[in-house]
Amino acid sequence: MTTIDPETRIPDPIELDEAEEARLRAAAGLGPIPREGGEYAGFESVGIPDRPPQTDRERDVYTLNEGEMLINLGPQHPSTHGVMRLVVKVRGEVIVDIDPVLGYLHRGIEKLCENATYTTVLTYVDPMDYLSSMHNEHAPAIAFEKLYGIKAPPRAEYIRALVVELNRVFSHGLMMGFLALDMGGLTPILYSFINRDEVVDMLSAISGQRMLFNFFRLGGVNWDTNDEFLSRLGTWRSHVLDNVLMNERMITENEIFTTRTKGMGVLTGDEAISLGVTGPNLRASGVPFDIRKAHPYSIYNELEFDIITQESGDSYARYLQRIAEIKQSIHLIDQIIDKMPHGPVQAQVPGIIRPKPGRAYGAVESPRGLYSVYAISDGGPNPYRFRMRDPSFISLQALPKIMPGRLLADTMAVMASFDPVMGGVDK
Amino acid sequence: MAVDPPAVRPDGPIIIPDQAENDALLAPFNMEDHPQGGFHGLLEVIPTKADYILDLIRANSLWPLLSGLSCCAIEMMSTATSVNDIDRFGMFPFRASPRQADVLIVAGTLTTKMAGPLVRLWEQMPEPKWCVAMGTCTTSGGRFKRSYSVVQGVDRVMPVDVYVPGCPPRPEGLIYGMMKLHELVKQRRGEWSTFVDRGPQRTRWEGDVR
Amino acid sequence: MEHVRRPRPTADALGRRCPLSAPAAAGSLVRLVTERLGSDLEHLWTDEDTVEFQVEAARAVDVLTTLRDDPDFDFFMLADEAAVDYGVGSHLEVVYHLFSWKHPAWLRVRARVDRADPRIGTVTHLWEGAMFHEREAYDMMGIVFEGNRDLRRIYMSPDYRSFPLRKDFILPDDAADSPAAGVNPLERPETWDLARFRDAPAVAVPAIGERGGPPPALESGETEADTSRPR
Repeated sequence: MTTIDPETRIPDPIELDEAEEARLRAAAGLGPIPREGGEYAGFESVGIPDRPPQTDRERDVYTLNEGEMLINLGPQHPSTHGVMRLVVKVRGEVIVDIDPVLGYLHRGIEKLCENATYTTVLTYVDPMDYLSSMHNEHAPAIAFEKLYGIKAPPRAEYIRALVVELNRVFSHGLMMGFLALDMGGLTPILYSFINRDEVVDMLSAISGQRMLFNFFRLGGVNWDTNDEFLSRLGTWRSHVLDNVLMNERMITENEIFTTRTKGMGVLTGDEAISLGVTGPNLRASGVPFDIRKAHPYSIYNELEFDIITQESGDSYARYLQRIAEIKQSIHLIDQIIDKMPHGPVQAQVPGIIRPKPGRAYGAVESPRGLYSVYAISDGGPNPYRFRMRDPSFISLQALPKIMPGRLLADTMAVMASFDPVMGGVDK
Repeated sequence: MAVDPPAVRPDGPIIIPDQAENDALLAPFNMEDHPQGGFHGLLEVIPTKADYILDLIRANSLWPLLSGLSCCAIEMMSTATSVNDIDRFGMFPFRASPRQADVLIVAGTLTTKMAGPLVRLWEQMPEPKWCVAMGTCTTSGGRFKRSYSVVQGVDRVMPVDVYVPGCPPRPEGLIYGMMKLHELVKQRRGEWSTFVDRGPQRTRWEGDVR
Repeated sequence: MEHVRRPRPTADALGRRCPLSAPAAAGSLVRLVTERLGSDLEHLWTDEDTVEFQVEAARAVDVLTTLRDDPDFDFFMLADEAAVDYGVGSHLEVVYHLFSWKHPAWLRVRARVDRADPRIGTVTHLWEGAMFHEREAYDMMGIVFEGNRDLRRIYMSPDYRSFPLRKDFILPDDAADSPAAGVNPLERPETWDLARFRDAPAVAVPAIGERGGPPPALESGETEADTSRPR
C-alpha cells in the first residue's frame, strides 16, 4: 500500500517555471521581470463577484495573480450537503483561497420564532439541522424550561436522551455514507440509508414523523414509548453493531479512502478552538471538549461514558471519531434502556406558556458540535429573541484555513468530513 | 486512378425545402389546426402510435436532477436508496448536470437567493422536462409562510406538474407523486406538452452580453 | 402536583447532581469578576449555571481580552456571539457566551451598543471563529464591528437593504402581501371557475353495506390510479 507523506508539498508548475526563469535570467545577468500587482477580477472579466469588493478580505480573495483562476462550486453541485456556494481561487489544481457564500437556504427561522408561541417554536427549529432534529428541539426545550422554571419528569429526560442518542447514531452513520459518496463510493451511502430508515421508522413510531419529529415539549416529550417503538428498538439494537461494522469494514481499510483522507485537512486543537469548531471535529483534533461532560444537561450525569479523542486532526481522524461515537452512543442507549424509570412524560404546563422576563442559555451536544439557544423572554407568549448557534455554520470557517495548498478535488472530501448541514448553516 | 470531380450543376445546387413549419402537410391527418402546431412525434407520418411508445419510454426512464435543497432532499435520497427503491422505476441516475436530466424534483425550501440559480437550472434542462414540487415548502411556502426570504411556492417561478405535499413527504408519497407523473407523461398532460415551441427562449439576465 | 412551576432545585428527589449544584462554585467566578473587572461591569447577575454582566460597547473588547488571557479566568472558547434588539426606543446588544475549564459556569457578557450609531470592536483577533458570528450580526441587525476585515452580508443578498431581525422590520401577516403574490392563478380569485363545482353532479358513493357488485366503470380520461374521488 502506498503511503503519502502528509508533509509532501505538491510541486506547483507555475512556481517551477518562475524558478527556472529566474535562474536563467540570473545566469544571463538580467534582473527579474517586473510584475505588476494582481488584477482585480471584476464582473467584466469573470463574473465573480458581480459588484466591486466591499471588504479587505473580499479584495484579497477576488484579486487574481499570475496563473490564478476563480472556480464557482455553485449552489447546485453533486455533493450532498445542500446548497452552498464555494468560490475557489485555484492556481492550476492547487487551491489558493476559498470564499464560502452562504444564505441560499436562509429561511428566517429566528424571525418566525419571534412571532410564534413557545410550543410552536419547538416545531420551527426542526428543519434547521434536519439530520439531528431531536437535538434542535432539545436545546430550546432546555432554555425554555430554564426560563419557565420547570423541570421535566425523569422518565421524560430519559426518553429525551434515548431519542437524542438514536438521532446521533443515524446522523453519524449518514456522515460515513456521505463522506464515501463525495469521494465517489456509491455503496456505503446505501448501507447508511438502510440503517437510517430503520431508526427513523422507529422514531416515527414514537413521534409520528419520519424526519422533522415534533417530539419535544416544554416540560417533557409528547408521547410515551409504545409497543411498536420498543419492538423496533430491540430488533434494531440486535443487529446495529454488525451493520456499522460492515459499513466500517468497507470503508476504513480501503486504500483509496485512506489515501484521500489521511493527512488531509489537518486542524490542530488550538486552531480548532480559535475557529469555534466543536463536537466530533474538535475531539478529533485532540481537545476533550464534550458538552455532555462539561456542562451536563438532562441525565448525562448518571450515564457512564468517556470522552473519546483522536490525535491527528485530519479527515481520517474525524471519520474514526464518528465511528467511535456511534459505538459510544449505542453504549449510552443500552444504559438508558436499563435505567429508565416509570412515570409521566410531560409536566403539567398551561396551553399558552408565559415565562417571567429573563434570559436563558441552553446548550446541547449535537452530532456536529455545540448547538445552543439563547432565549430572551419578555413575559409574553412569544419569545422576545430566539437565537440559535449552529455548529456547522461556525465549522465552515475552518475550510479557508486548511484547504490552501491542497488540490481542488480534496475540497469536497474535507468538507464532508466536517459534516455540515446547510439547513443549520443558513438557518 | 484519377477521379473527375463532380460536375457543378448548371442550375445551382439542389435545395430541399424545410417543411417544419408547413402545417398544410398535416391535412390528410386532420391535424393542421392542432394546438401544438407543426410536426411533432417520432415518425412525422404517424404521430399517434409511435408517440405512445415514445411517451412510454420517457415515462419509464425519467432521470431526476440532483436538486436537493434541504430536508426533503434527505427523503428524496431515502427514496433513491435501498429500502424505497426508485431504481425500479428507472429513476436511479440522479444527474448532476441539468443538460442530462428530465425531471426537476425541487426538494426543499426555495429561498429568494436560490431562486435565480434554480430557474437557471430549469432553463438549462432541455425539453421534454417536467417539474415536481416536493414538500409543502415548494408547494406553497409551507411552514415558512410569513418568512421574508422564502419563495411562497416554486410555482411562482416555474411551471409545476406534480405537487407532492408533506413535510417531508414519505418516500411512498414521493413515489406516488412520480407515478402520477408517469400518468401525466403518458397522457401528455404536463406543462411541457402544452408548451408551444417558438424557438430558443431564455430569460434576459442583467449583464448578459447578448 | 409534583411538576408544577417552581424554581429549579439544586438537587431533586433522585439525588442527581444538577450542573453547579453549589452556588459557591460560581461564587469564585463572581468574586474574580468583581475584583478584576469591577470598574467595567454593571448589573451582575447569576443563575445556577450562568454568570452574567453588562458592559459598555467601548469596553467590550478589553474585557473579553482579559477574560481570555488572564490565567485565572482562562475563557478560551467563545461559544456564541449573538445580537439582540431591545426595541425601537432602546439600545442593541451583543451577547458573548464564554466557556472555561476552570469555572463550571457559562459566562455571559452583554455589551450595550447604541442604536443610532451601532459600532463595537471586533473580537476576530481573539477568536477567528467570531467572523461568521459578526457577519451574521451585521446582516441581521446592522451592528458594525470595527476592525473586522470581512464585514459583509452573509445570509441575504449583497444588495439587500434591510436588517431583518430588527424590531422595526415586521413580517407581513398575509402572504398575499409578499412579492410575486398572484403570479399563480390559484392565488387570484378572479380566475377561479366555481361553476364547474356547482353544476357537477354529486358523486353518490353507496355505503359499505349496500355495495353489491364491482365498482362503476372508469370514465374517459381517468385511470385506476386516480384517487381524487372515491370509487
